[in-house]
Amino acid sequence: MKRTSLESGLLIGCLSLFFIVLGVTSLTGSLVQDWFKLSSPILGGWLLLFLMTFWGGTLAFKKSPSKSWSETLRTGLSVGLVAGIMLALTIWGLGTLNAQAVPIREWLVQLTPAAIAMLTMGRAPVVAALLMFVVMLLAGIGGAAWAYAALHYQWRSVLNTRWLSARESVINMSLVQKYQQHQYSKQIAYGVGALVLLTAPLYLGRYWNYTLGTVGLYVILGLGLNVVVGMAGLLDLGYVAFFAIGSYTMALLTAPQPHDIVMSFWLALPIGVLLAACAGVLLGIPVLRMRGDYLAIVTLGFGEIIRILSKSDVLTDFSGGPRGVRAVGGPMLFGLNLNNEFYFMYFIILGIIIVAYATHQLQRSRVGRAWMAIREDEDVAEAMGINTLKYKLLAFAMGSGFAGFSGALFASRNKFTGPEDFTLLVSINVLSLVIIGGMGSIPGVIVGALVLKGLPEMLRQLDDYRMLAFGGLLVIMMILRPEGLIPSSRRKMELHDDESEALVPDVLVEGGEV
Amino acid sequence: MAMLELENVHTYYGNIHALKGLSISVDEGEIVTLIGGNGAGKSTTLRTISALQRPRIGKIVFEGEDVTTAPPPEIVRKGIVHVPEGRRIFGRLSVQENLEMGAFTREDKQEIIESMEHVFQLFPRLEERRKQTGGTLSGGEQQMLAVGRALMAKPRLLLMDEPSMGLAPILVEEIFNIIREINQQGVTILLVEQNAHMALSIANRGYVLETGQIQLAGLATELAASSVVREAYLGGG
Ligand SMILES: Nc1ncnc2c1ncn2[C@@H]1O[C@H](COP(=O)(O)OP(=O)(O)OP(=O)(O)O)[C@@H](O)[C@H]1O
Ligand SMILES: [Mg+2]
Repeated sequence: MKRTSLESGLLIGCLSLFFIVLGVTSLTGSLVQDWFKLSSPILGGWLLLFLMTFWGGTLAFKKSPSKSWSETLRTGLSVGLVAGIMLALTIWGLGTLNAQAVPIREWLVQLTPAAIAMLTMGRAPVVAALLMFVVMLLAGIGGAAWAYAALHYQWRSVLNTRWLSARESVINMSLVQKYQQHQYSKQIAYGVGALVLLTAPLYLGRYWNYTLGTVGLYVILGLGLNVVVGMAGLLDLGYVAFFAIGSYTMALLTAPQPHDIVMSFWLALPIGVLLAACAGVLLGIPVLRMRGDYLAIVTLGFGEIIRILSKSDVLTDFSGGPRGVRAVGGPMLFGLNLNNEFYFMYFIILGIIIVAYATHQLQRSRVGRAWMAIREDEDVAEAMGINTLKYKLLAFAMGSGFAGFSGALFASRNKFTGPEDFTLLVSINVLSLVIIGGMGSIPGVIVGALVLKGLPEMLRQLDDYRMLAFGGLLVIMMILRPEGLIPSSRRKMELHDDESEALVPDVLVEGGEV
Repeated sequence: MAMLELENVHTYYGNIHALKGLSISVDEGEIVTLIGGNGAGKSTTLRTISALQRPRIGKIVFEGEDVTTAPPPEIVRKGIVHVPEGRRIFGRLSVQENLEMGAFTREDKQEIIESMEHVFQLFPRLEERRKQTGGTLSGGEQQMLAVGRALMAKPRLLLMDEPSMGLAPILVEEIFNIIREINQQGVTILLVEQNAHMALSIANRGYVLETGQIQLAGLATELAASSVVREAYLGGG
């Protein structure tokens, strides 16, 4: 038996255990039960475990150097064996404990008696464990066999040619042809996309407008930090400070307490953006002369200073103190009160579009090239005649301004702001979503925010384990896709060297060491 | 009048007195070489000229203009371009992107394209590898890229810091031929080298630097013949 296939089995086994403990299996079970109107969640839960090991079998096959039939069988068998033993033992153990009425859920909240009953199919633990073992063996072998078949019979390419010819016949239909010949086809596609986006808040309902609105605010934060960290390569760990500044500016200028200024939302918004950007520049002038680690530490400190100041009793008269600021004002337009999550969803979508467009344009411009050079090698960038301090300040100012924008919307939408909204965790979350999505990639930030902030909301059941799940996800993702979910083409190249080498034509390799 | 003149330049790194009253000059069209042992202050001299380091005392004049306090972008615009020590190319960017970075201070797109074609004429290897990332180039190719990138700034005076470092003898020869060719196309060159033999063979004049001070100055042929240089830098021969 090959070590790699045992490893695959172990990985899949651990992942499955992780899913069981987190309640992902129970959740899948109940979802499948709901969708297909089944009488019990057993099928869904077991299906998930089956598919996991099946996947493990295909993975192990891809890793195995020999692609012969007997080797395939052995590979699948070892994956199934390892995963099967792990899961069978788990089920036997859980089932036995449950039967003795041990209160497992006191330690592991998701392992309710119902969840365990789903795993044991309501049978005796030994029977269920044996059954699970057999199913996993079949799944492992099935997965390997599937991969073997896909390789040898080239199903994919057959499917591909079918798909191509099908597509061709569709293209030949005059309507599609007309559409493609239409010189505005791209614009039409964008238009449809925009229409979907713009009507989405209409059918999302209150809860989802609020939840996805929060995700959207994080997208704006992520796009801003992406400029600072991803494009200019400046590690800012106190990013939350600028979010706080935008937020407090909106709150203090529009709320009746503690200042009674009650300014219009439309005036407070640009002031918040501007103040955050200015704070970025002011912090940047002394700090951006430092490099790498120092920059990270100083910004980290700055973030905490802002939070502690906002919390301080001494400043209660100025910033509301520990209790925060209530009754933050919302936007009015033509006498219409737009102060609810539905309208804010529109502001946020609009904000994302503007910010994404602006950063996209910048990335391709001269400024973007300067950032790239600074990120790669600051000394050389300077020798090339790039005014490094100026461009670093610009990156800082833009990132901070976007954070201020997000913060101002955040305070106004929630009608409240307080010190607890601005913990270090916010900075870490935003940094994580930038990394998960793929540093320097704009679509990556959007997907990263959806995964990091949206997924936990969608899987409310995970709530107690959110940090555990989050950590696990990060680890798995860094193993599977170190370059992020939607990496910029550059990062992909750099982290998957072994694959990119194949892209260099042989002619070039021939020359050898020059 | 000399193209570049350093008068009594003192440069410090904190308390470390790296250049102690350096005075050198470079005439238009020349190749001038700066030789000396490790830590003599050769790189510091180039860094001071290109404004990456500020002199505490002294004056730098380029084409009759005092540029002692000019910032790096202005120095590059005036035509002084630095090829830093140790082939500091942008490893994660493609060859083409590296070259484009070199033209950062220039505006005219058409002229930039012409410069790139010129660089590709000098280094056909780079053209074959336009899309390859800098970090995957061989050592010799990286040095060519570093030189090509500097040429993209359209230099009038090229400051080269040990272009032969770590290269096989045959490649050293190739690089030096190219330096000569660049010079013949009208670019003045200030060349820092540890390989004194090669440097003196292509230079018009040279300076010998020791602990931040000029030990010896003269025509390249004179220096190559002088006993001091022969003993210290040409292997005693
Ligand atoms: N960043 C720095 N900080 C402090 N001291 C420095 C720094 N760079 C150089 N020095 C010191 O300045 C002196 C001159 O260094 P420089 O790099 O100019 O020497 P060099 O002639 O280029 O040597 P080499 O041939 O080894 O490159 C040395 O004593 C060196 O230790
Ligand atoms: Mg040096």
